Amino acid sequence: MTDHNRIPETVALPSDATIAPALAAEIRGRRTWPLPKLADPAAPLLQVSDLRTHFRTERGWVRAVDGVSFGLADGEALGLAGESGCGKTTTALSLIRLLPSNARIREGKVELFGIDLVQKSEAALQRYRWREISIVFQGAMNALNPVRRVRDQIAEPLRYRLDQSDKAATTRAVELLDLVGIPRKRSGAYPHELSGGMRQRAMIAMALACDPAIVIGDEPTTALDVMVQAQILQLLEQLRRDLGLSLMLITHDLSVIAETCDRVLVMYAGRVAEEGPVSRVFTAPRHPYTRKLLASFPNIHADRRTLDVIPGEPPDLVTPPSGCRFTPRCPYAMPVCSEVVPPEVRFADGVRVACHLFPPTDPDVVEVPPTPPTTAPKERASAPTAPA
Amino acid sequence: MSVTGITEPDLGLEVVRRRGDRARGFIARGLGRSDGRVGVAILAVFAVLAIAPSLFVGPLQTVVTATGSSLEGPSSAHLLGTDEAGRDVLNLTVHGARISMTIGLMATLITIVIGSLVGIVSGYVGGFVDTVLMRISDFFLVLPTIVLALILAPIILDIIGPEAEFAGIRATLLVIVVVIGVTSWATTARIIRSQVLSLKERMFVDRARVIGASSLQIMWRHIMPNVVNLIVAQAVLTFATAVFTETTLAFIGLGDPTAPSWGELLNSAQSSGAPGLGAWWYIAPPAVSVVLVVVSFTLVGNALDDLLNPRTRRR
Repeated sequence: MTDHNRIPETVALPSDATIAPALAAEIRGRRTWPLPKLADPAAPLLQVSDLRTHFRTERGWVRAVDGVSFGLADGEALGLAGESGCGKTTTALSLIRLLPSNARIREGKVELFGIDLVQKSEAALQRYRWREISIVFQGAMNALNPVRRVRDQIAEPLRYRLDQSDKAATTRAVELLDLVGIPRKRSGAYPHELSGGMRQRAMIAMALACDPAIVIGDEPTTALDVMVQAQILQLLEQLRRDLGLSLMLITHDLSVIAETCDRVLVMYAGRVAEEGPVSRVFTAPRHPYTRKLLASFPNIHADRRTLDVIPGEPPDLVTPPSGCRFTPRCPYAMPVCSEVVPPEVRFADGVRVACHLFPPTDPDVVEVPPTPPTTAPKERASAPTAPA
Repeated sequence: MSVTGITEPDLGLEVVRRRGDRARGFIARGLGRSDGRVGVAILAVFAVLAIAPSLFVGPLQTVVTATGSSLEGPSSAHLLGTDEAGRDVLNLTVHGARISMTIGLMATLITIVIGSLVGIVSGYVGGFVDTVLMRISDFFLVLPTIVLALILAPIILDIIGPEAEFAGIRATLLVIVVVIGVTSWATTARIIRSQVLSLKERMFVDRARVIGASSLQIMWRHIMPNVVNLIVAQAVLTFATAVFTETTLAFIGLGDPTAPSWGELLNSAQSSGAPGLGAWWYIAPPAVSVVLVVVSFTLVGNALDDLLNPRTRRR
């Protein structure tokens, strides 16, 4: 997003802020609820390794997410980018298994505070849903019941998850609405009486209800106009700082990620193409897909006619191409690309790339550890803004 | 629009007032509609008559306590004339309100409770439960009310005896209530189920499940409020049908001769040959009463439907 779209009172968090361990400890110290019983206090907040979520269809298994690994630190904002159907949403929803009935997590680990959620039973997972990981749904109008007052709906997670009384839950719901900028006197309104931006704020309030560690934003600003979008993003950023949240932002709008996130994970056809600090990935993209994706984004300063497109279409995930899945559309495709799955390599600046253009033997490349570290090994000098 | 300074548009909604104010606002809005006002007024009159008929027209007249002679026309002594046994028609009509309205309300209650329950559960749970419930409702859907009543009423009366009473309500009336309830819930269930089928695919139901609501809570708190307008509309229709059915059953002689409902009055008017004798005062009062109650219920139902649905609520 360009500068003139920013609203004046924006207090910018450095977009490439790295979360120091000390801050992580402080954020955990401020939790309203104790850590889950089995939690390892020293473990990273979230560590996803080799996640494979497949969908069973008549044509066979659709490999929507096929070997995705990433980490998320306390207070960090991670953007999930990629075109439609690349597995962004499936990846995020796999964390707390909010998947359609034909989906299976066939492999991989989702470790929250060191607890593997994939191994948990449906009943045991309820402890983590909404209380540790909550979601801001896409399309707030549809996610709100049209005939119930907004505050009553915000109060629901408090009643169901935390067994609070109706009265306490409603009081808290009104506070939450206040926190996201909906005045108290509007808390008794019905969804259709609120504007699109206010409805999205209400959804954010609902996501915050149980004081979660991670909030997943599934295209939280997609249906909103640019002004409201900026307000919502600013709100998310402010809440992240004030409440010490970790954010996972799913969007196909790269400008949203550039503005809000510390790190970005670019996915293609169910795999990670490139991952790293926003400032590095967006200024010096390495994976051909990332380059193409950034080039196909309209730039206000560039000639409109030169807008790049990626030829071809994403592969069929029932029978994905062997080797690198981007090969059929890749301008740099080599013979090896269609045969060997490219290994993920890590660079010194924290960027992780899966592409044969960058073989592990490259002198710039640092060997990738089995599970990537949660925080990008960046200069810690740029002290992150302390929470207010 | 600034982040915090969102101005509140005047929606005329009592969102900040306390509960009592809100209830008052609700009634005021209901009475603000002219159709609602007329409906409530008519219903109020009949309700008062049904609750305390003796206060207005004295105790129910029987053949023994009749005050006039046979089929007198309207006069100052008998405002609506008398029947063939010399009973005051006004007296009978007012006392008939209680029976007719009681039967209407009870039958409506049975229909709506069973119908909504079956409709919501069947639509929301789906699968095997849905199939079973819908086959059962199909069975009741094809049963004709009158025929079933013709068969059930004598059988039940034979078993429990015509003098049996349950909570002050004579068995005969109870049979009519049960028959009407049993034969009309299936329509309600079908209509509500179809709406629930579309509602449960809506995203807010998924969202509710994600935040931890159980199926029961989803049905009660999320699905039910969305079908209230259907339930109200069905209740009104059922009440009207129930009053009519009771009238019909009484008219063909299946009523309780000692409890003069409006249908019972029409029945005896017909059998005493009142139409042939030109005794319009014997036929008109009960007939007009039935029409008035049914119409006013429809008016109130329409007004309620608009009030209960936040989206169509007048601002």
